[in-house]
Amino acid sequence: MEPILNVQGLQKVYGGRGSHTQALRGLDLRVFPGEFVGIMGPSGSGKTTLLNCISTIDTPSAGSILVDGTELTALRGRALSKFRRERLGFIFQDCNLLDTLTGLENIALALTIGGADPRSVEERSRQAARLLGVEEVLDKFPYQMSGGQQQRVAAARAMVTRPALILADEPTGALDSKSTGLLLKQLEELNREEGATILLVTHDAFTASWCRRILFLRDGALYRELHRGEMDRKAFFREILSVMSDLGGDDSDVL
Amino acid sequence: MSFKLALRNVRRSIRDYAVYFLTLTFGVCLFYVFNSLGDQQVIRFLGTNGNVGVVEGIFMLMGVFSAFVAVVLAGLILYANQFLMKRRKRELGTYALLGMPTGQVARLLVEETLLIGLCALVFGIALGILGSWALDRLTVAMFLATPGEIFSFSVSWAAAGKTALYFGAIFLVVMVFSSLSVSRARLIDLIRSGRTNEEVARRPLWLSVVLFLLGCVSLGTAYTLLLTRGLLRIDTLWFVMLGLGTLGTFLIFRSLSGFLLRLTKGHPGYYKGLNMFVLRQWSGKVHTNCFSNTVISILLLLAIGVTACSVGLNDTISSMVGDQTPYDMTVLNYGLDDGSYQEADIPALFREIGVDPDTSFASVESVTVYYNDPDITGMPAAGYYAAVGRSDYDRLMAGRGLAGAEGLTLPIRTPNAIVNGPAADGIVVVPDEMLAQLQPRRQMVNINYAGDPVQVDGQIQAALERAGTFGGELSIMLNCKLDNYYDLMGSKILVLYMGLYLGLVFLLTAAAVLALQQLSQAADNAQRYQLLSKLGASEAMRRSALIRQVALAFLLPLVLGVIHAFVGMTAANEIIHAVGHVDSVHSSLLTAGLLLTIYGGYFIATCLGAWRAVKEGASE
Repeated sequence: MEPILNVQGLQKVYGGRGSHTQALRGLDLRVFPGEFVGIMGPSGSGKTTLLNCISTIDTPSAGSILVDGTELTALRGRALSKFRRERLGFIFQDCNLLDTLTGLENIALALTIGGADPRSVEERSRQAARLLGVEEVLDKFPYQMSGGQQQRVAAARAMVTRPALILADEPTGALDSKSTGLLLKQLEELNREEGATILLVTHDAFTASWCRRILFLRDGALYRELHRGEMDRKAFFREILSVMSDLGGDDSDVL
Repeated sequence: MSFKLALRNVRRSIRDYAVYFLTLTFGVCLFYVFNSLGDQQVIRFLGTNGNVGVVEGIFMLMGVFSAFVAVVLAGLILYANQFLMKRRKRELGTYALLGMPTGQVARLLVEETLLIGLCALVFGIALGILGSWALDRLTVAMFLATPGEIFSFSVSWAAAGKTALYFGAIFLVVMVFSSLSVSRARLIDLIRSGRTNEEVARRPLWLSVVLFLLGCVSLGTAYTLLLTRGLLRIDTLWFVMLGLGTLGTFLIFRSLSGFLLRLTKGHPGYYKGLNMFVLRQWSGKVHTNCFSNTVISILLLLAIGVTACSVGLNDTISSMVGDQTPYDMTVLNYGLDDGSYQEADIPALFREIGVDPDTSFASVESVTVYYNDPDITGMPAAGYYAAVGRSDYDRLMAGRGLAGAEGLTLPIRTPNAIVNGPAADGIVVVPDEMLAQLQPRRQMVNINYAGDPVQVDGQIQAALERAGTFGGELSIMLNCKLDNYYDLMGSKILVLYMGLYLGLVFLLTAAAVLALQQLSQAADNAQRYQLLSKLGASEAMRRSALIRQVALAFLLPLVLGVIHAFVGMTAANEIIHAVGHVDSVHSSLLTAGLLLTIYGGYFIATCLGAWRAVKEGASE
């Protein structure tokens, strides 16, 4: 099977002459269709840089990123915008819903930007909202919703365009444990029942335990890989914790 | 201690305050310029040159307008202040959270308002002095063909005092409002204000429809009152009309967003591109916008109406000078005291008082007009007081290079004036043979000067003054072109000065308010547009959305303002008709040009500024 995301020899160097930081040192990574992959690592391990490169917000110094057969590093300007809105879906940590739009309209925005048929927009948005269990807040404005509801609306917006890859950057960072559980359960369902490919970046072991496979980064390179396999979530969670203590890093990241 | 904090706050949030400060300074400047109008040199010059009525008219109008302008500006400043408060709620909440008593927070605000207000007053008056001087110079240059008088720089202390008094009162109201709103606010609202942008009204559709219809009805009533009663009957009903017009405008703006949103929501175009986003951007600000939109459309009404009317009236007056005074001077000889006709040698009379007709006059043409006898001429006595022979008429016209009475069926009203001034009205041209049957009425002598007309006119006036009398036992009247010119110039200055002044200032205010409003939202917008970019909206898409957003804000008040102005001018035309015919095409074109230049300029500047702010916000 062809990987949906194929990262090879990815390097990213920040800074110019004198002082420079190597954020990524030749990273290889493959994600296949229908996978739910988590990326973990301590602060400064290169998680965010990797995500920024994949989401075309940042450009790598060397290496290639293929998403669904398209070489990202070769895309510029208009083609880049087009690729971003058609092939990728985003869930950010915070400030990702427009406060002037209702829940439904926030979801619909991803479709209308992509130039979808206006007559189908409302129905498709409602469908996405149903999948993420946020139908009751469709007519509400973001400030009338709870943080968890906002994040699930954002998730619905990320998947409504049926992107090749959904990128989630610390989606549970600002949520309480109940909302976190609810959001992750919905994402898992989305992955299992709709076959959505999700790449999730987190430093939280509980959040990561919902993924099927976890990649641990350290100092800009792959450190270890964990497969959930037939393990239940609790066992997987303990596994993750033990890898994290091996990894070292700052203790605050554990739990 | 708290004053120090206030000072530091003002300095730190200078970017937020810039909007507020500009609004205030502009308001003060405008108010000063208005009220110093009576003290301006051109007006004083007119007052000393016999046109006392004009000056009194200016002072009367100033009183009425100043009160109105003060109310408008008070609303504007309150709005700007409210906007500022909203942006700073979080900061104020933090003070309260740290244990500062609400009384002290309120005092902090009062001190900040005081500081800003004082600065704005000083800057505004300084700017006003400059502005009023520049406009004075401009008017002098425009109206005085021979700017012999040099007008100097002047400060109107009365205007400055009045401005300080009015704005002091306005600031007092602002202080009371802001400290009240702070002491009544709950801490949670202050802290959370960064997230809750504005309460979005969820009014049912029928309420929007009812409000919209109510607005239309009150506006219609106001229009009917205006059109049936006319513009200038100032009594209780006049104020009712004004109130209804304002209320109607307000209601329409208030319900329009809900109305429009629901109307378009069913339409598939709502979900096309960034349409939905643009519409929501606009309607999200509906509560503050419906108030400012009302003010703006009324300002635009005043701007359009006043400019168009004054330009139209000015054209009328201008054409009157040319039409009414074809000669440098006309001497009207009314004959003896008993009214009997007595011809005189006018050049000889001038020589008697020391004016040499051979060197001073280039041409002297005498003509006799006769009593119009309806039984003989067939022309009604009412409206035609005199008759002139055809050959006399032809001679006068030939002297000016105009066509004579050839080809016309006589008797007929004179196609062109035969003398200066109102005496030229109501004269008929009759065949020469008819003159034998008519009684001579008056001798009229048309004179054109040799050399510089201003100099010759001055010599004649001086000679007349020295002699004390002219023409002995005859009643003689002189109608000089320059006298007419000065008279008409007075009316012209009054009309155009007031009109252009008010019109331009209102137009600038309206455009400035809109620009400030849009630019002040830049911070919020930057965040939203950045998100659109992340979601894959291309730069072209985002730019067009921003332009549409600004255009929506600029166009809606303009549409209602233009409708208001159309109705208002229909009423105003009836008054102007009493004075003369208004060249509506020319005045409309000129007004449209002004509107397009200033309003359009502001629109483009706002688009550019907003786009820059969005891009800057995205790169941070």
